[in-house]
Amino acid sequence: MTGETEQTFIGASRTTVVEEKVILDEEYDPGFAAEIVKYGGRDVKTCHQCGNCTGVCPYSLKTKYKTRNIIKMCQLGLKSLVLHTPWLCATCYRCYEHCHEDINAAEVMIALRHIAIREGNIPDFIVRVSKNVVKYGQSISPSREVEVLREQLELGPLPYARPKHAKNNTEIQHIIRATNYDELIHISARPEEDE
Amino acid sequence: MTYGLFMGCLVPNRYPGIEWATEYLLNKKQLNVPTERIDDFTCCPVPGIFYSADKDTWLALAARNLVLAQENEKEILTICNGCYMSLHKAAEKLQDPKQRSKTNKVLKGVGKRYVGEEIPTDGRIKQYRPIQIKHLVEILIHDVGPEKLEEKVVHPLTDLRVAVHYGCHYLRPSENHQIENPNRPRYIDDIVKACGAKTVDYDEKLSCCGAGGGVRSHVKELADALTEDKIKSITKARADVIVTGCPFCLLQFDTAQSSLPGVNIPAIHLSSFVALALGADPLFLGFDLHNISVNPLLRKLRRGAIA
Ligand code: SF4
Ligand code: SF4
Repeated sequence: MTGETEQTFIGASRTTVVEEKVILDEEYDPGFAAEIVKYGGRDVKTCHQCGNCTGVCPYSLKTKYKTRNIIKMCQLGLKSLVLHTPWLCATCYRCYEHCHEDINAAEVMIALRHIAIREGNIPDFIVRVSKNVVKYGQSISPSREVEVLREQLELGPLPYARPKHAKNNTEIQHIIRATNYDELIHISARPEEDE
Repeated sequence: MTYGLFMGCLVPNRYPGIEWATEYLLNKKQLNVPTERIDDFTCCPVPGIFYSADKDTWLALAARNLVLAQENEKEILTICNGCYMSLHKAAEKLQDPKQRSKTNKVLKGVGKRYVGEEIPTDGRIKQYRPIQIKHLVEILIHDVGPEKLEEKVVHPLTDLRVAVHYGCHYLRPSENHQIENPNRPRYIDDIVKACGAKTVDYDEKLSCCGAGGGVRSHVKELADALTEDKIKSITKARADVIVTGCPFCLLQFDTAQSSLPGVNIPAIHLSSFVALALGADPLFLGFDLHNISVNPLLRKLRRGAIA
């Protein structure tokens, strides 16, 4: 891991930062814990900072991303400092299996991702993959090389090339518009001819 | 029960050989597990994206797939840990009447309604349970069973040393699904042994491949750093091949190793592995699309067969 990647993606959750942190007024968001609950996380205030989660987290063991510290920052209402970190969680749920307060840090990270996106912090890959789903009904774009092999193996066409693709995709696009997902991440979810 | 085959996105679009292998082994002539294709299935949807960005959208898209199973009166059979977790979690969430009615409002616009699988009762009131989601591993263990599998093996993969990778979402979170003890899983090991091969123990067997949760797409460098640790332990255990039930983990092992010096352990899907043991011609398994060549493995098998 290069220092730069670490700084960009982990920065604020490093132990040194957490331990020596002086909380500035403008960083403090008293409603942060409640917001996490709103997006499906559990109440981070009941975490007693035992550190089990960090101890089993593959990324905490490898990098300066520390699960316990992120939860601590959530407790302290330091919203602006943690919103770029939850994307580093592999959602492997090891922290959940080892937390006796039933915090489920993985789900806290998921809630943080929801909040980050609503604050306009939308990683490219979210947009890219969502666009694939809107277009092909699948998260991955087709590749010619694979299609050739599919023909040789007599596997039939990929979903996007099947007769009912248009109908299925209209359904997908309808759902994405109905939940306002298109507006949330700024993509178009209309049939192509409408664009 | 006939299963509705859920191929997901990665297998048809990147590793079509796994699709071929899965159909081959579930076939009447092989393990005879009744399956049917439901062509209208779309992305599960991928949890690292939709469950991360907006749970309502995630649930509605998943529910659409579940309704297709419901209409066709099928249980869903998945060959991917991501699809498994996404669909399983969605089916559980939809047990909550509030969530269900909220989701059904969205689905109404596409003429669908989720109720679940009707279960027979004596009374007049209809009862439903969640649409059942099964991982291929469960089918091989519970519907087929290692003994029957062993009987069907025509080409025992003797002498192969296999590092089994279960993958996170096969094991965890155990609050949503529990196929087996998440701390001492053995089903894939049992299947591999039934195929005649040896499984090796290695450090970090139960840990993440590195790719999950969108990390691979977001900061590939970090995902690869985790994979490196795992690959090192696997190399130390002198494994010939990594066998996993998840195509996404497979993709990570297969691609990350290209940027890691001095390691090249092929990774193959459980379907392909079992298909080999059942006598499938390797030419049909699509190994040419793998980054890390599977040929050393095939050569070792051929030597074993000649000897
Ligand atoms: S394991 Fe649970 S209680 Fe302990 S520090 Fe982590 S989140 Fe807090
Ligand atoms: S789910 Fe995320 S925070 Fe929890 S152990 Fe896994 S990578 Fe770490």
